[in-house]
Amino acid sequence: MTPPTDTIAGMIRPVPTPPDSQTNRDLLAVMKGASAGYWFLLGLALFFMHLAGGIWIFQVYKGLGIAGYAHPIFWGVYVVTFVFWVGIAHAGTLISAILFLFRAKWRNAINRGAEAMTVFAVLTAAQFLGIHVGRIWKSYFILPYPNQRGLWVNFKSPLLWDTFAISTYATISILFLFVGLIPDIAIARDRAKGWKKVLYTVLALGWVGNSNQWKAHNRAVLHLSGLATPLVLSVHSVVSWDFAMSLVPGWHTTIFAPYFVAGAIFSGFAMVLTLMIPVRRIFGLEAYITDYHFENMSRFILLTSIVCGYAYISEYFISWYSGVEAEQTSFWLRAFGPYWISTWVMIIFNTILPQLLWFKKLRVNVPFLFVLSVCINIGMWFERYVIIITGLSREYNPATWGEYIPSWPELGILAGSFGFFCTFFLIFLKLFPVVAIAEMKEIAIHEKAHGAQGSH
Amino acid sequence: MARLVGIFELPAQVAAAVKQLRDRGYTDIETYAPAPFPEVDDAVHPKPSKVRLMTLIGGLTGVITGYAMTIWMANNWQIMIGGKPFSSIPPYTIIAFELTILFGGILTVLGLFIFGGLAKFKIDPAYDARFSAEDFGVVVRCRDQDVAEIDALLRDNDATEVNLVES
Repeated sequence: MTPPTDTIAGMIRPVPTPPDSQTNRDLLAVMKGASAGYWFLLGLALFFMHLAGGIWIFQVYKGLGIAGYAHPIFWGVYVVTFVFWVGIAHAGTLISAILFLFRAKWRNAINRGAEAMTVFAVLTAAQFLGIHVGRIWKSYFILPYPNQRGLWVNFKSPLLWDTFAISTYATISILFLFVGLIPDIAIARDRAKGWKKVLYTVLALGWVGNSNQWKAHNRAVLHLSGLATPLVLSVHSVVSWDFAMSLVPGWHTTIFAPYFVAGAIFSGFAMVLTLMIPVRRIFGLEAYITDYHFENMSRFILLTSIVCGYAYISEYFISWYSGVEAEQTSFWLRAFGPYWISTWVMIIFNTILPQLLWFKKLRVNVPFLFVLSVCINIGMWFERYVIIITGLSREYNPATWGEYIPSWPELGILAGSFGFFCTFFLIFLKLFPVVAIAEMKEIAIHEKAHGAQGSH
Repeated sequence: MARLVGIFELPAQVAAAVKQLRDRGYTDIETYAPAPFPEVDDAVHPKPSKVRLMTLIGGLTGVITGYAMTIWMANNWQIMIGGKPFSSIPPYTIIAFELTILFGGILTVLGLFIFGGLAKFKIDPAYDARFSAEDFGVVVRCRDQDVAEIDALLRDNDATEVNLVES
């Protein structure tokens, strides 16, 4: 039996234009249009990226001799910068995975930006392996692929571990970023026109937010967080073993893994501040990224700065206490040898300046935080410079001591790495929501629900 | 058969409506939500998502692959390095660990695609752009004679709007 047709017809009403939510409007506005300032920054980033590309092609043509390598130092700015960018990449997964597992709700506003930063930082870092080895056309030798010679790679080498760690980290961070983006891409899809509509339709993979999808999504995010948590701690540990597994004085220490991980989180949080402070200011996101978020990040920076400071002190103490002359000399020359400037920049910027964050007034002072975060980035780059260069320049036999001065191609490619990173971050800002919209809505709807209950 | 879609503002209303529909014997129910709310998703699908099985399979495959690959390769062409055994478990554990995470992560995302029904681009006509704003939707398939009953039930649960969509 069917009901009278006019009942059904009466119920088919034209759907009114969807009233959009405030969260959608505010956060999608970031992606709309682009100011002259944006194009200028993008142009600048592209310029440096291409400059570095040109220098790199020149280096491939001339050979690694144009880098500042001189006996006994064959790990220079390229390896320093590689470790620097891998370190930067740690904050994203820490915020997304570890703070997710700890149910730290304040991560919601900053996790997307930090995840994107992670992906681009890992991609930047990975290039330096290729740049450093010189003969780029042989770089695939590091992979265990079947070959006619029947040879396999040496799995006892930390460099192999590093290959696996970095490629796993890059893959997992990309998956993490993409999984988190799917619901937000669907939001953009429903409101986009033209080529963007096509792009978002493809990338949203038919996301509609039904119960099955959310259930699977929640479970996937939980499990990816569970997998990424040990991963984030392992990646920089493995990077540190590139050094710690050798016998170079100053490198051969067991503290390296936790020391590097703390330093990585420290520098990563500083980079999140360096990026998110201008983003918040330029796009007027003060309602979403509040001073409370910056204060929490400052606390993380303070904590990890103290851990780093402790590692610096214990390194010096153990080298003195060990009674090993080579170790003692190496550390003495770090502070008072030819590379003393780098060492003192590292100590002052990484351990002394962040102590100002004990003051609440400074923790919520955004311009101060921005300057501090830039100082920390510089300090952390110098930390790796100190470890690598001073270590290699003063090994056991004084007859093999030598000096290293970075060459212009190395510095050009270092500048270009920032160009590469910024290019992708700037493009990301305009294509995808830099604040996780669905997660902000979760909070907004919870608040609405409590408000509704209160009024009943 | 007919399909009705009710528009709601709060997750608790959706969960209550779904529960009442289930109690009355309607089984073909779907919800649309702008953000994850466990009470809504659990009302429709009480069982945990099978994605967790995929993570387990991926992780186990990874750890086995990691150890098997390293041990086999080191013994396939034996090169003595630093006097260490060819099958050195401690260094190979690092490779096994990384592959556990890698395979586990990839299969988790694959699980999201499979069990979340992603990568299907045909969108349900009951879906509305409002569900990616801040509204919730409850879609019920029912016999034509039950339309009035469900309409009343959804409205009793504070649905702001109830529409009929082609089934």
